Amino acid sequence: MDTRHRLKEYEMVNENASCHLRLEGELTIYTAMDMKQRLLEPLSTCRQVDVDLSQVSELDSAGLQLMILAKREATRLGKDIRFVAHSPSVVDVLELCGMMSYFGDPVVMAKGDKQ
Amino acid sequence: MNLDDALQTFVVESHELLQAMEEALLDIEHSADPVESINAIFRAAHTIKGSAGLFGLDGIVAFTHVMESVLDKVRDGKVSIDDDMVALLLSCGDHIKALLGGLSGGQEHIDPDMASIGAALIERLSVYLGETAGKTVVTAGHHPKVESAAEPKVESMGGGFVETDNWHISLHFGIDVLRNGMDPLSFIRYLCTLGEIVGISTSFEAIPPAAEMDPESCYLKFEINFFSDADKATIEGAFEFVQDDCIIHILPPRSRIDDYLHLIQELPVEDMRLGEMLVRCGTLTQRELEQILVIQGANASGQVQQQSPIGEIVVEAGIVHAPVVEAALEKQKSVKDVKAQESRLIRVDSEKLDNLINLVGELVIAGASASLLSHRSADVQLQEATSNISRLVEEIRDGALQLRMVQIGETFKRFNRVVRDVSRELGKDIELQISGAETELDKTVVDKIGDPLMHLVRNAMDHGIESTELRQSRGKPVKGTLRLNAYHDSGSIVIEVSDDGGGLSRERILKKAIDKGLVSPTQSLSDQEIYMLIFEAGFSTADKVSNLSGRGVGMDVVRRNIEALRGTCELESQEGQGSTVRIRLPLTLAIIDGFQIGVGSATYVVPLDMVKECLEMSGEDRQKSREHNYLNLRGEVLPFVRLREHFREKGQAGPRENVVVVQYGSQKAGLVVDELMGEFQAVIKPLGALFGNLKGISGSTILGTGEVALILDVPSLIQQAASSESKMALVQA
Amino acid sequence: MAKTIMIVDDSATLRQVVSIALRNAGYDVIEGCDGKDALAKLTGQKVHLVISDVNMPNMDGITFVTQLKKLPAYKFTPVIMLTTEAGEDKKASGQAAGAKAWVVKPFKPEQMLNAVSKLILP
Repeated sequence: MDTRHRLKEYEMVNENASCHLRLEGELTIYTAMDMKQRLLEPLSTCRQVDVDLSQVSELDSAGLQLMILAKREATRLGKDIRFVAHSPSVVDVLELCGMMSYFGDPVVMAKGDKQ
Repeated sequence: MNLDDALQTFVVESHELLQAMEEALLDIEHSADPVESINAIFRAAHTIKGSAGLFGLDGIVAFTHVMESVLDKVRDGKVSIDDDMVALLLSCGDHIKALLGGLSGGQEHIDPDMASIGAALIERLSVYLGETAGKTVVTAGHHPKVESAAEPKVESMGGGFVETDNWHISLHFGIDVLRNGMDPLSFIRYLCTLGEIVGISTSFEAIPPAAEMDPESCYLKFEINFFSDADKATIEGAFEFVQDDCIIHILPPRSRIDDYLHLIQELPVEDMRLGEMLVRCGTLTQRELEQILVIQGANASGQVQQQSPIGEIVVEAGIVHAPVVEAALEKQKSVKDVKAQESRLIRVDSEKLDNLINLVGELVIAGASASLLSHRSADVQLQEATSNISRLVEEIRDGALQLRMVQIGETFKRFNRVVRDVSRELGKDIELQISGAETELDKTVVDKIGDPLMHLVRNAMDHGIESTELRQSRGKPVKGTLRLNAYHDSGSIVIEVSDDGGGLSRERILKKAIDKGLVSPTQSLSDQEIYMLIFEAGFSTADKVSNLSGRGVGMDVVRRNIEALRGTCELESQEGQGSTVRIRLPLTLAIIDGFQIGVGSATYVVPLDMVKECLEMSGEDRQKSREHNYLNLRGEVLPFVRLREHFREKGQAGPRENVVVVQYGSQKAGLVVDELMGEFQAVIKPLGALFGNLKGISGSTILGTGEVALILDVPSLIQQAASSESKMALVQA
Repeated sequence: MAKTIMIVDDSATLRQVVSIALRNAGYDVIEGCDGKDALAKLTGQKVHLVISDVNMPNMDGITFVTQLKKLPAYKFTPVIMLTTEAGEDKKASGQAAGAKAWVVKPFKPEQMLNAVSKLILP
């Protein structure tokens, strides 16, 4: 199954307040171009962005960079971005690189769900 | 891991490659595209070496390695390929075959003889490699060195050593690693298999502002505090695939503080920040960092050199020029798709095919029986159904037989080598011309035709084609020509071996035959009959015996081999012009389309391909035939055989007799029979030893009724008819 | 889901041995007998790594990788090229085509497995 290039548009929960973005499929070099835009777009309209990572099947360095970029961009704009519902692939990468604390988002470990 | 099957593949594949190499070598002088030939030769050595390495067959690897090195020089045009090298490479091919032959139980067994042959060949190959050759060391593994920070030095230069027992790995990935398909994370994951990451600090300061950030570029850097028992080479090896693009520093445990200072200074990250990272990942203590910074401050005047990432240089230098790529594509188009065709082929155990053919044979018999029964019944629908089945069975039969049909070209091509080697040995200049290579024949026949052909080819080269001097004096081209040709002719395949040599001397053969008592001096023989004498046992006309042929054995063996395949030989010769041996073989040994005939109570089968026509014998003909032993076929003299008499069938001929006109080669004869019973598919069953000597019979088959019918040996019957006719003619003259 | 690796080499022996080693380690394997064959078999399915010989009939490894990298689905697929000590000169054109990882022939199955695991673990 090719889950590449599939991405759900973010939902506006409350205009100018908070929005919810759900990423699906790979967050990798293959989708990086797309994902950059999708991640940054809500930051221009919302004060707070929740990014749901539960459906991210794969995360690589390119994806990690984008998460960092979004986080930094949010800080620069004085906004708030939170990554939530980390999928096992995401947790795996953040742990590997020692980046968990940088994002500081609460991570709920789904036991036995790791690849 | 069980590699037995793979080893089997290796042996088969290697033999194919060696065959291809041999062909390319023999072809290279005349090749329109020598580059392609050289590539094929190179590929053989290269592939065999690569595959042998997989099994740890170091002997084969070492040998093919030297060959490959020489061939690489040839490919680059540094060494040109000459006759001597062709001969050497051919011997090398033979040696590899011997090495392959020595494989058993997945191990190499090289006996001293083989070893000394191998050593001698390597020595000869080494000549082409220049002085350093022969000493070439084969390394199975290959770890390129990663550029690493200073090796531990004995003398201590200020600052002492850091305390950590761990390695420190500093990874600054090049901007293009992601685009190249390399994920930095995968290398870090691999590191985890070598030891434990005690601390890791990921740097992302290099990520530019959002608008400029290219999501496909890599901006990450890692400082890793790593605990491992692995040696430095192994740890370096983890990054062998990115070493060109990245700046990688690996500091062994207890490196000098100086080394860290170098590390901090060399890397294009803000000094302070890197220092912090080293502390954060646990490589340096805060105290150690401060110590380093103090030293750095002392060196403040020395400028920090900015290293540009190595990767950038490589990528720039590595740009392929567009015309080169285009030329390569163009060439590929022109190369024939032979290989692609090969990849569509599948290998099947020939035993499976034989079983299939046997089954189809049984099916044909069973089908014939079913259709016979249906014809006896008056059920039209049943008849229709069985006739449909018969048609399909026929198609299956043809299809199944087709599976066994192979082109004779492969067999012919092997003679390139033979002709080359033998002509060198004889000091003659002989060229082999091959035609009809695409002619197909049964695999069983192909397997058995090799030896007889070898005899004929060697014989033609040894005795047929004259020495260079003699050719010159006869005004013939110095280069002799040997031709192998094949074609289909009325249900047979014809294979010709011709030479443009001296031809056969009718007188010499006759004289010799008389000397040997093979014929009596009074016998009158046609040219053809005289030539055929050389196929008699114990006949040889060669004045001198060479080690190739001329020992008086050979031609009779050839004839017996051919006859065992239900084939025949003919010889055509013109003195001074050359001679041609023509072998005629049945296309298949398994199933034939037959024509059923009845003589008295017995049924016989004639191969349908050989039946030219059928005639009813008029009363007048019957009368005349009693006197002449030949018939008048539209003004043509047609010798005939009465099968009733030939097989001593009891009883009188019926009121009506028929003639089946059969042809074999250029000869025709009539077979006088009682009844014409029509076409029939005959599955040939070999005759038991009991019937081995029966004249005029070549096999048997089972009819639909379950009865056995004999298959007529048409060539021998024609022979018989012709000879009795000529005897009769002699008597009358 | 197992990671998929494509092995492209004109030697059936090499393909067979490498496939056995990779499958035992837990990878899925697709085989191609030359560049042309390999391209025909790559129809958009996810392939995590390609191992390709350089010297092949019909379409050599360099051309194959060049073509591969033009396909959106395989633009970023890592490639391990198989080369000989003698084939160092091919490296430059291979690098330019996008093949950064090189493994020297002859190799043992374990060595290939080790090289593969540097790029992707099963």
